[in-house]
Amino acid sequence: MIQVEVLSIQNLERQEKDALLFPAFDLKVYSGEIIAIHSNLNIRMALLQMFLGKAPLGKGEILVKGEKLDKNSHFSSFHIGISFFEQAVYHRLSVKDNLKFFSQVYSSSQSIEEVLNLTQLNPYKNSPVQKLSFSEKRRVHFAKILIENPILYIFEEPDLNVDLETKRVFLNVLEYLAEQGKAVLILTGNMESAITMSKSVYRLNDEGIHLVEIKDESASTVEEEETVPEDEKTTMTVNINKIPTKVNDKIILFDPPEIDYIESNDGQSNVFIKGEAFPSTFTMNELEERLMPFGFFRCHRSYIVNLQKVREVITWTRNSFSLVLDDAKKSTIPLSKTKMAQLKEMLGLK
Amino acid sequence: MTFSWKRIYAIFNKDMKDLSKNYFVSSIIVLPILMAFLYGGMYEMGLELHYMIINLTLASVTAFIQCAVIAEEKEKHTLRGLMLSPASLTEILTGKSLVSIVLTVVTLILCAMITGYEPRNFALIAIAIFISIIFYIALGTILGLLSRTVVEASVIILPVIFLFGFGSLLMVLAEKYPAISFVEYLPNIQIIELAYEVELGLGFVDMWDHFVVLLVWALVASLFAAFVYKKREIDK
Repeated sequence: MIQVEVLSIQNLERQEKDALLFPAFDLKVYSGEIIAIHSNLNIRMALLQMFLGKAPLGKGEILVKGEKLDKNSHFSSFHIGISFFEQAVYHRLSVKDNLKFFSQVYSSSQSIEEVLNLTQLNPYKNSPVQKLSFSEKRRVHFAKILIENPILYIFEEPDLNVDLETKRVFLNVLEYLAEQGKAVLILTGNMESAITMSKSVYRLNDEGIHLVEIKDESASTVEEEETVPEDEKTTMTVNINKIPTKVNDKIILFDPPEIDYIESNDGQSNVFIKGEAFPSTFTMNELEERLMPFGFFRCHRSYIVNLQKVREVITWTRNSFSLVLDDAKKSTIPLSKTKMAQLKEMLGLK
Repeated sequence: MTFSWKRIYAIFNKDMKDLSKNYFVSSIIVLPILMAFLYGGMYEMGLELHYMIINLTLASVTAFIQCAVIAEEKEKHTLRGLMLSPASLTEILTGKSLVSIVLTVVTLILCAMITGYEPRNFALIAIAIFISIIFYIALGTILGLLSRTVVEASVIILPVIFLFGFGSLLMVLAEKYPAISFVEYLPNIQIIELAYEVELGLGFVDMWDHFVVLLVWALVASLFAAFVYKKREIDK
């Protein structure tokens, strides 16, 4: 399929009061491409407001199919679909009536049956939306944007707090959109879901936009700078098994079995215990080496997981996997394709 | 932007379905029908009573439903989604007005059947009521655009129901206190006077002044609604 440029963001920056939200950045999204932007809530809101023409674009430009977004033209003429996290649909009407209504309003050629199948809403098509669970409602929102049938799809936090079935549905929707040659932009604050949903993940913050490296490399590659001071390291020569973390000025020590997983964020490794993150003084490679004997596994370039806590290995598509932990939050952790083979070997599976 | 009847019909259809499940708003229809039963069974119906029910229908059913369906879209944030769709606010409001008109006409016919009101000149009365409906729709639209929630809408509509629905009582007051004699120019009073003249067998030539007053009310309300609508559109 020929890739056409669908979205082009040029020189876009946003300053709110005295704080710089993000400096000028450029981004292009081509047809058939899925791009995720990981950012905090303020940046996400600012971006959406800019798309909606409710916040000034400043010197920047947003072009969709070569046409500049402009407050004076009606939003619908740009064929952008936005699926908000707090999307509003008609709660008293059934799922099918909602979709029928949107189909008529958007003069859509998309078949309602196909959308119901894709979002697995067929069993609920005659129930009022207000009777559905949160995850099912989110699927109605996905169905709505599929009915709108735009060229550019923007999803805000599509898989936040949803159940596994809905997450799988969403990944199927993404695959379907990529096949149809649509351009997709995902805005999320959750790195794990960004990595699972998209092959190209960008981190947008006050330092600009950065591509997050998610290509697999062998674990031996030195990837992060040594951040631990020399003297602290020498004290570690005594064989302590505890993992030190730093909170403010305190050093907290954790037993390896307590740890659920470790996530690397901008070169900083964070140890997750019962859903709380503690910044570690070690790099990912050091942690991997240290924790290997305790049954930890480097399941992704940016993740180390405690295998004792893994409950389930989920296969989303042929190339995307996740690990579900047994903790209270049922955290999911990305598992890269090459690591999947390694994990299977470790577990004695073929 | 093209004006599409298909989208208006979609909005009309959706609001009809939604209202049939929204008892908080749709139960207002019961009010005039109940009054019709009550008075129809109790008294020999005079023109005054017939028009009290008709005015009540216009104020409660027409204005309130129009106001509530607009306010609800705002309260539930579905209007934001609609504004991003190809449907324009004009189409949305037209679709909603059609809902109010259909429900009003149905209620009026039901009430007239219950109370047994048969005007001597049906066409003239129909025209007068239609002009009034436009006035009440515009009034409901203004209040709907101004209120943020359905509960707010149901409070804001109360003075309208009292003023226009039970307005005939004002005439009694006006006879006592000449200072408020201007109330006779209110649309609900005008339509009663018009109805009296129709019953007397007068023709259009004799009652054009009432039509003019009604038209002015409808026009002023529509212009004001357009003004509020423009202002809201800029706010968004």
